[in-house]
Amino acid sequence: MSAGFQAVQWNRKKIVYDAILLGCVTLFIGTFMTVGALRNPPADAPTWINLRIKAFGACAFTMLTIILMIGPLARLSPRFLPLLYNRRHFGVLTFLVALVHAYSVVDWFAVQGAMGDLMSEMTGSPDYGKFIGFPIKALGLTGLTIMFLLAATSHDFWLAFLTPRVWKALHMALYVAYGVLVMHVALGLMQEDRRVFIPLLLGGSFALVTALHIAAAWRERESAQSGEWIAVGPPASIPDKRARIVTAGGERIAVFRDGDQIGALSNVCAHQNGPIGEGCILNGLVTCPWHGYEYRLEDGCAPPPFTEKLATYRVRIRDGIVEIDPNALPPGTKAAITL
Amino acid sequence: MTRGHRSFHRLLWPVLALIVGLGFTMALVLRPPPEPPAGVESKTRVNARMPEPAK
Repeated sequence: MSAGFQAVQWNRKKIVYDAILLGCVTLFIGTFMTVGALRNPPADAPTWINLRIKAFGACAFTMLTIILMIGPLARLSPRFLPLLYNRRHFGVLTFLVALVHAYSVVDWFAVQGAMGDLMSEMTGSPDYGKFIGFPIKALGLTGLTIMFLLAATSHDFWLAFLTPRVWKALHMALYVAYGVLVMHVALGLMQEDRRVFIPLLLGGSFALVTALHIAAAWRERESAQSGEWIAVGPPASIPDKRARIVTAGGERIAVFRDGDQIGALSNVCAHQNGPIGEGCILNGLVTCPWHGYEYRLEDGCAPPPFTEKLATYRVRIRDGIVEIDPNALPPGTKAAITL
Repeated sequence: MTRGHRSFHRLLWPVLALIVGLGFTMALVLRPPPEPPAGVESKTRVNARMPEPAK
């Protein structure tokens, strides 16, 4: 298959996903603003803007927390995979919400005629040497800049242009953005507002993201026993025309079942490193969920005239349990078995 | 995700998590004491940067 640029293909699921996402964001911000205005009715424009700053900031931080939870959740349970497929849309919307938060801060200064210039605001502060009192606007701007870079390069064009390796490394910066933004809130709002739920929510969000990553890594570590055949489970435990993903020596392996045929392939699509094991078998071919690249289960080869090949793994049945050899065979090697 | 990405991820995440966890704890412990409730409106951090109104 050609590795050329392909336009993003919209489908009904993506539209429904985006509609739900937009609905949730609107509900969050609407509820926040309404409850905030009812509890402490804003007396003037700056107070209204202040409420808007908090509403959009809280929403963006919550969205970022959820985005970082999706990866480990999907590794722990396939029920969360639908969230993974459209995570880029989630990310772009998070950047837009954060942008409104930042714009509102600028707006707050503007309506009071207290606008400084950005350069002196960022470089002229004497508080960079302090911990408590560190300029939180610099932290916020750093997080926003990283989110902008990721949102701007989220399209498949950039994945193809930058190469999957560079693109993925770049998008790992989301973790840096999250760390910076946790400190943005910890050194900002948490210092000014003594209510107990603020550190609880902030620390709880951070702890949850951390715990999920540890749990997902722990689960993969348990299933990885380098050098030995890896037990996958009874054949029936692999859903028909789907895969179970196991890990061996740091590599993920997708073990597919197509009726009574079982085969194991590298989980990394030869096109753009998509997660093959999260796809399914369509028309007798393993189909990558990202762009529909197809491979034969028996030998990991794309059907002619295409030339892509995946590494395969030896499979055997022992005591009614499917086992795979974690040592990869050369791409295109026939290795699937029939029950 | 390739082996290289995962190795980088495994290195990056714990280090970042430790730094942020430590930073969050310090920010919590070093919080200034609450202002006395003298009927003064609470100030946000943004408000605190603004000059006092002319008397």
